[in-house]
Amino acid sequence: MIPHGVRLEPRKGVPLKNGIVRLPGPEPVSAPQTFAPLKKNAGPSRIIAAAEKAGIVDESDGMPLGKKLSRLARRGPGLLIARCFDEDPCTSSARAVFREDAEKVAAGLKLAARACGAEEKRLAVASRGEARRLRGLRLGIPAVVAGRRYPAGILLMRKLCRNGGRAAFLGAQACAALADAAREGKPQSETVVTVAGDGVRRPVNCRVRIGTPVEKVLRLAKPEEDVRIAAVGSAVAGRTVRDLSLPVTAATRCVIALRDAPPERRYPCIRCGRCARACPAGVIPWLVYRELESGDPDPLLFFHAGDCAGCRACNAVCPSGIDLAAEVRRAAARKEGGEG
Amino acid sequence: MNLRNAAPPFVRAEPTSASMLRTVLFALCALLVIPTVRYGIRPLTMAGVSVLTCLVCEILANLLRTGGFSVTDPSFAVTGLVLALLMPLNAPLWLPCASGAFAVLVAKAPFGSFGRNPFNPAAAGAAFAALCWPGLMFTYFDPSEPFRLPAFADCTFRTGVSAAATLKNGLKPDILPLDMLWGEAAGPLGTGAALVVGACALLLLFSRAAHWQAPVCFLAVCALLAALFPRIACSPLTSVKYELLSGSLLFGGVFLVSDPVPAPYTASGKGIYGAFAGAALMAFRHFGVCEQGAWFAVLLANAASPLIDRAVFRVRGWEEKPHG
Ligand code: SF4
Ligand code: SF4
Repeated sequence: MIPHGVRLEPRKGVPLKNGIVRLPGPEPVSAPQTFAPLKKNAGPSRIIAAAEKAGIVDESDGMPLGKKLSRLARRGPGLLIARCFDEDPCTSSARAVFREDAEKVAAGLKLAARACGAEEKRLAVASRGEARRLRGLRLGIPAVVAGRRYPAGILLMRKLCRNGGRAAFLGAQACAALADAAREGKPQSETVVTVAGDGVRRPVNCRVRIGTPVEKVLRLAKPEEDVRIAAVGSAVAGRTVRDLSLPVTAATRCVIALRDAPPERRYPCIRCGRCARACPAGVIPWLVYRELESGDPDPLLFFHAGDCAGCRACNAVCPSGIDLAAEVRRAAARKEGGEG
Repeated sequence: MNLRNAAPPFVRAEPTSASMLRTVLFALCALLVIPTVRYGIRPLTMAGVSVLTCLVCEILANLLRTGGFSVTDPSFAVTGLVLALLMPLNAPLWLPCASGAFAVLVAKAPFGSFGRNPFNPAAAGAAFAALCWPGLMFTYFDPSEPFRLPAFADCTFRTGVSAAATLKNGLKPDILPLDMLWGEAAGPLGTGAALVVGACALLLLFSRAAHWQAPVCFLAVCALLAALFPRIACSPLTSVKYELLSGSLLFGGVFLVSDPVPAPYTASGKGIYGAFAGAALMAFRHFGVCEQGAWFAVLLANAASPLIDRAVFRVRGWEEKPHG
């Protein structure tokens, strides 16, 4: 099965030309604790140490950058890619960071590539237009266009790794933070968050101090009174929060406010086969679901269930509203449990 | 702000099952317009009683199965409308009721209702009626002289010979192609107007309410077989024209074959399924006794669809292979 992904309609998003708004931090801020900037030709271990000291977290997977880089250094990735595109249709924080300072992202990527010994590096951008813009900047790093289909990251990774190559992603914000740490000895203290959804009147990309309560970020976008759902992380695979005093973390890429909960009505599977075409990991969700429903599942039919990446593309396409990702996870757990 | 928890995804990409069914319903209603304008409100009463029967049967079945009244999806209305459209307009009103009851109570509910039925309920209902009352299913009034049919009463009429029956007898139908495009010929209520059916097909396709694989393969195979083995002495192209426009072939292709529930899951499986239904239909036309048998062909293909799925699995190596 060739994975197709899902074409998600672009939503009323944040106009990128508005740039990034800065949310004023809580007054008197303690001066950022600094450390010595890196020398021009610092070695890998120094770069990794700087990433650790700066406390950088990769927003694309929530992993500390220092740990990620040292792990990558051991494995030796062929290709290191900075994610300058956003997967879900409501978010634009990565694109906004890239628009604002592509040079800084590129510099961070170069440092990271040196730290983990990657042979090649690329900037993965959202569209052909962005790629052209990048070429105009002459940063010396080639672009690669991530498709429009969700989940673009996993699909791009599959494409690049098809011939046995190895590749790894870094978040654009993590790259920029690494560049800052190396140049100025600044720790990562801020993150860029998209606030969007039909529950806000003024969607924005804002730069906020890490640890700011979600409520403050949300208020910046002028939320409507009747917001029912606040989701963080992603509009497709994120999670809802009910307590708005929770802090924003480096991995919070977006806050989505919605006035209506998604419909929860479920229908039986109508056998359209769309979930299998959408899945980037080669799982056949309807097969897994049917087997689990049958009461006597045959683990041999849990085809690739263990490879599920949790992207929830299958949920997004299923016309019957079945929570296929949860079913696949259940099946994978069963298989792991040795019942197979 | 009164926040709730909900499960992702918060954006969805596709129409829901219910909205797909609603689109199909809309398309079916569009087919009722021309007959209503031409023959009075009898088409509407026929569709109405048919849908009502299906609704009552659905509620009955739900009561028996779950003890609840609620009808969760509009699939019963699709069944009812398709059945009414497959009947001749002059048939007594109890005919669509009887076949609707059969469709819901025998072909759908025992298997677990919508989404689990292995056969298309409307096709099963129509096949039931054609087997039990062939006389009523295959006599059509002659629409050449304009007149209005009574809304409820049984009607007396001059019978006409449908294009499908003429073809069955090995003769060339004496009907202008233009009349066939607008459905102004003896035939089932809703299946004649080829242009409207075609427009409905486009609507279903572009609103993503139906997949294209099965209907396209179905029509392609039908056209191919009609060109290769014409039943009447004429050029292949004429044969294709008459075969495609006569009987309920086009209607069956758009509304019966495209039903995803009894079809295979995989896209390639759906193509094979459509082709199989097309071949079966042409075989029925050549060798069967009825003048048309789209529903028999669809039922046959429905029965084969688990096998088709299994075959596709084998070929793709999706089965009997430990995870690796
Ligand atoms: S959540 Fe898992 S099964 Fe569903 S599309 Fe993503 S990878 Fe495939
Ligand atoms: S997308 Fe949903 S309805 Fe379609 S085959 Fe998959 S599980 Fe069934």
